Amino acid sequence: MSAEKVTQLSQTKRMFGELSFGPQDVKLYGQYTYGIAGERFFREIKDNGRIMGTRCQKCQLVYLPPRIYCERCFAELKEWVEVEGKGRVHSYTAVHVDLDGNRLNEPILMAIVEFPGIYGGFVHKLGEIEPRDVRIGLKVEVVLKREEEREGSILDIEYFKPGMFD
Amino acid sequence: MALDSCGMTLDGIDCVVMGTAPDAFDMIHMKGENLIDGAGAWRKPYMRGFVGGGTGVFVVDQGWYHVASGLFDTCLVVAEEKMSSCLPHPQGAFITIWDQFTESPLGPSLLWMFAMEMTRYMHVHGITEREIAMVSVKNKKNAMDHPAAQLPAEITVEDVLNSEVMAWPVKRLDVSPSSDGAVALVLAAEPAAKRITDKPVWIEGVGWCLDTFYIGHRDLYYPRYVEYAARQAYEMAGINEPSKEIDIAEPYDPFDYKELHNAEGLLLCGKGEAPKLLADGVTQRTGRQPWCPSGGALGVGNAIAATGTMKVAELFWQLRGEAGKRQVPGKPRRGVAQAWGDELQVGTVIVVGI
Repeated sequence: MSAEKVTQLSQTKRMFGELSFGPQDVKLYGQYTYGIAGERFFREIKDNGRIMGTRCQKCQLVYLPPRIYCERCFAELKEWVEVEGKGRVHSYTAVHVDLDGNRLNEPILMAIVEFPGIYGGFVHKLGEIEPRDVRIGLKVEVVLKREEEREGSILDIEYFKPGMFD
Repeated sequence: MALDSCGMTLDGIDCVVMGTAPDAFDMIHMKGENLIDGAGAWRKPYMRGFVGGGTGVFVVDQGWYHVASGLFDTCLVVAEEKMSSCLPHPQGAFITIWDQFTESPLGPSLLWMFAMEMTRYMHVHGITEREIAMVSVKNKKNAMDHPAAQLPAEITVEDVLNSEVMAWPVKRLDVSPSSDGAVALVLAAEPAAKRITDKPVWIEGVGWCLDTFYIGHRDLYYPRYVEYAARQAYEMAGINEPSKEIDIAEPYDPFDYKELHNAEGLLLCGKGEAPKLLADGVTQRTGRQPWCPSGGALGVGNAIAATGTMKVAELFWQLRGEAGKRQVPGKPRRGVAQAWGDELQVGTVIVVGI
């Protein structure tokens, strides 16, 4: 079995397509509800500037983001608790390329933020800090958009910034 | 090639298991169905297995229970990935794999999600980028002897450290390439196997496990789900001390730190100890327990769903003494292969022996 080696794709016959486009340029789109837990979680951020989780009594876990059932024991989770927006950096990276592999002018700082006693946390941006100053364990606090700018999205959280707290 | 190597034709194949990962690469949904003819599954019992990057070993595990259940005498396992069709970069196909409310709006890429795992792993154990870079040097060199290798190279640790930073601490030479590739294996029940070959390689143990979907729900320094999958496979294989009873390991290495991270999950050493084994030469092809003698994803290439299957094929050749220039000395008798993926949440493991 042999195949001629092609080094230039332009030498080949190709079909072009775009994800989420069908024939006749029909754009495929969707709507997807946040669900019961997501609805309340994002409304609390948007309307009250609060981050809420749900507690599983049996497994002694507070889920963040919240869920209406426990993934470990399948209990229904009805108890909502506020999670103070003060956490720590679990891990982080400085992103230098975009999804297409192009260089970014400035690196973007991304982190996983964890909260004491909470099962979960957020993947989110870090702000008001230089890459060289980021470290694991750094205390960070949530920065929300102004209330009138919030839309009920994870991007209502602008970023996490270094925090001063015990 | 797999059929030819054991003197078989499709007539002798009872069922087919197909491994192929994200549909988005090919812009065809349900591509398992699209691939049925090339997989040799026309009018046969057929199924597609898919756990992201973990698929390559998962499909061999699936093929195993098709046969071990007694339902079929033979099973053809085929795994493929074609990433070159996804433009401008196949990374873009992964934008929709995350949680659509809490993660996707941030535009995550696998690259920087993995980078955060690498940062955490380095931090917890005090491991340096320099120590990790040696994996890339080793595997790309091993791949020099692999006939299907995409990125074989003799490079230095300095080359890795000086390569372009993509998402710190991940640099270009820490990462496997985008690849096109395919692998096929023939599995057979014991009586059939003995008719087909006088040098069978036996599947002694299989295991797989998925952790929670959400990245933020676990400590990224250690892949506990890989450990659970490994324990399942080792128990089936009767292995108590994998660090001593395994002759060759093919842990999944889409990034250099992943070989170390996954090897720890496979219990080949204690947590945080993998860099020392690497530095001491233990995991070189001529070492006491070679890791990725094939050249791995870093050297041979990372055709996602096919990579793990490539690793199982490597163990097949190694245990039969047919690995050519890649042959591990000392007549190895037992190997473990592992793949990893989904939302950094799945471990798939197989133990094979002669």
